[in-house]
Amino acid sequence: MLTLRIAFRNILRQKRRSLLTGLSMTGGYMLFVFAYSLLEGSYGNIIDIFTLDNTGHIQVHKEDYLDKPKIYKSVQDRATVESTLSDHPKVKSFTPRVFSPALAYGTDKTAPSRVIGVDTETEPTVSRLREKVSEGNYFSTAPDADGYYEAMIGHGLATSLKIGVADEIVLISQGADGSIANDIFVVAAIIGNRTSFDRMAVYLPLATAQEFLAMGGDVHEYAMLIDHRDNSRRVADELAGFLPDLTVSPWEEVQATFYRTMQSDRQGNNFMMGLIVFIVFIGVLNTVLMSVLERTREFGVLRAIGARPASLIRLITLETSILATISVLLGMVLIAPMVYWLSQVGFLVPEPIDMGGIEFQHMKGEFSLQVFLTPMMFMLVTAILISIPPGIRAARILPKEAMGAH
Amino acid sequence: MTNVIETKNLLRKFGSDETEIIALNKVSVEIEKGEFTAIIGPSGSGKTTLLHLIGGLDEPDDGSVFLSGANIAEMSGNELSDFRRDHIGFIFQAYNLIPVLSAQENIEYIMLLQGVPAAERKSRVGDMLNLVGLEGLGDRRPAHLSGGQQQRVAVARAMASQPDIILADEPTANLDSKTGIALLDVMRELNEKQNMTFVFSTHDQKIMDRATRLIHLEDGAIEKDERK
Ligand SMILES: Nc1ncnc2c1ncn2[C@@H]1O[C@H](COP(=O)(O)OP(=O)(O)OP(=O)(O)O)[C@@H](O)[C@H]1O
Ligand SMILES: [Mg+2]
Repeated sequence: MLTLRIAFRNILRQKRRSLLTGLSMTGGYMLFVFAYSLLEGSYGNIIDIFTLDNTGHIQVHKEDYLDKPKIYKSVQDRATVESTLSDHPKVKSFTPRVFSPALAYGTDKTAPSRVIGVDTETEPTVSRLREKVSEGNYFSTAPDADGYYEAMIGHGLATSLKIGVADEIVLISQGADGSIANDIFVVAAIIGNRTSFDRMAVYLPLATAQEFLAMGGDVHEYAMLIDHRDNSRRVADELAGFLPDLTVSPWEEVQATFYRTMQSDRQGNNFMMGLIVFIVFIGVLNTVLMSVLERTREFGVLRAIGARPASLIRLITLETSILATISVLLGMVLIAPMVYWLSQVGFLVPEPIDMGGIEFQHMKGEFSLQVFLTPMMFMLVTAILISIPPGIRAARILPKEAMGAH
Repeated sequence: MTNVIETKNLLRKFGSDETEIIALNKVSVEIEKGEFTAIIGPSGSGKTTLLHLIGGLDEPDDGSVFLSGANIAEMSGNELSDFRRDHIGFIFQAYNLIPVLSAQENIEYIMLLQGVPAAERKSRVGDMLNLVGLEGLGDRRPAHLSGGQQQRVAVARAMASQPDIILADEPTANLDSKTGIALLDVMRELNEKQNMTFVFSTHDQKIMDRATRLIHLEDGAIEKDERK
């Protein structure tokens, strides 16, 4: 306790200097937290956009369907999957899907397209398909008066084929049994806009798609939402334990390219943040060194009366980390309302950014423990590291320097 | 009688070949427990150097120092630190105290280094302040104490660790003669009552008069060694 008191009073000894040093650390911390919040917020935003738009947080496939999709790699024991997903407390919703490439034929044009069969009831609980209907109405499972089943097509496909709501579309594909699949569907709705990832997609009700592709009751994919995107890996691991014959992939694997880009982007930003902290701490190092040199005689006395070198290093480290802790806590109090505002309101981006058919206009920050604690840990560890060289300087002071008036 | 301090042929040189100064030239002294020894001699005669070597603050070029029978040259850095902490009390000419600590905290600090339990620290601090006649001033920081009072705190601190010897390099040099003599009287009293061994250097005739043994240094050698 006495050591703590010495450290404290040494900080108060040069009030002005400690104040300036402290404020530079406070400023550095605030900048760090603000940037970190904005960065994590943007990542979170983007992740939310594609996970909630389409991929979900976790997907279940047969084998390596994700990398090499083949129509025969399908999930057959759906009852096991569905009961596993229903039973897991963190899984909020899930939906089955089937996929197949197809040739689409409009009035007099053809275009390559992708058939996506979705459960019309559960799909909206996982993705934003229903909100992405830009013309017409969300489809139903029932055939129309002429016996044609309903399809919803991407904006791009509608443009290419020059067809609209209530028009007919012919799809040609290959069934799971190798047979040629072709059928006529009626367009119930246009989905998204020309930048949507599914602009060339044809959505069919699940049973319709299964029949069209001769897949029986099988599906290619289960997509699900869980309580929070950050838990995806853990929940995926748990689910994989229950589903040994299937491949369970968190969004980090489903969107591997994005994830890798994000991670390297993060590293780049961490480097930038590190640089800011480094610059702040060069100033801190200078001050600590100065305060050590001023106290040469004092440290000499301490060494003479029997303080070990290590205890002097500890004292200097303690002084710096106390100042850093106070500065960081002050910074936390000052920046917390800002970060909260950033997370709730955020910046209005001048030009709305369109991501896969979903526009977002706000740059929002993240308000989480991590946003405050990571920079805090970083600052404190740096404070300790930076005070070691001056500490060693203090420990090296020869006790006889303190003696007499030489 | 046991020798608390024993030096054998201490040699200490400063500078290089041409400008070489022999600060101590084969100095051998034996100091017994309870002695009140003054080291005297003209400026540059080697008093400070001798005290530094005895206290393990400096290393001799040749010869050795035994404290309570232990050869301090054989100790590692931390062992020597610990040995100083537990067996030697130091009083310097000035700037002895940690300015951010109060008088009693200064005294307490060395016991903290020794790992003395809090309750005992507190009671010993009180005793020490009484011994040096500073009762009631324990809460003051050094800046709010006179030079003489500061030196008394230094004496109290040196005593607090219950060392075998107390080394003091011109402890009265920064004090006026009346205050200096008063400090010496405090030291002498502790020497008599507690049988504490003191070795101090001084230029002051009135101070040396109070010593029970005078070691005269001249050009780094013992010229005269008289016991009263
Ligand atoms: N660090 C050093 N470097 C070079 N020479 C030194 C050093 N310390 C002491 N000396 C020399 O050693 C000799 C003895 O010095 P010392 O300080 O022991 O004398 P002293 O008796 O304490 O003198 P004073 O009464 O002035 O304090 C002197 O000639 C001094 O110049
Ligand atoms: Mg001297």
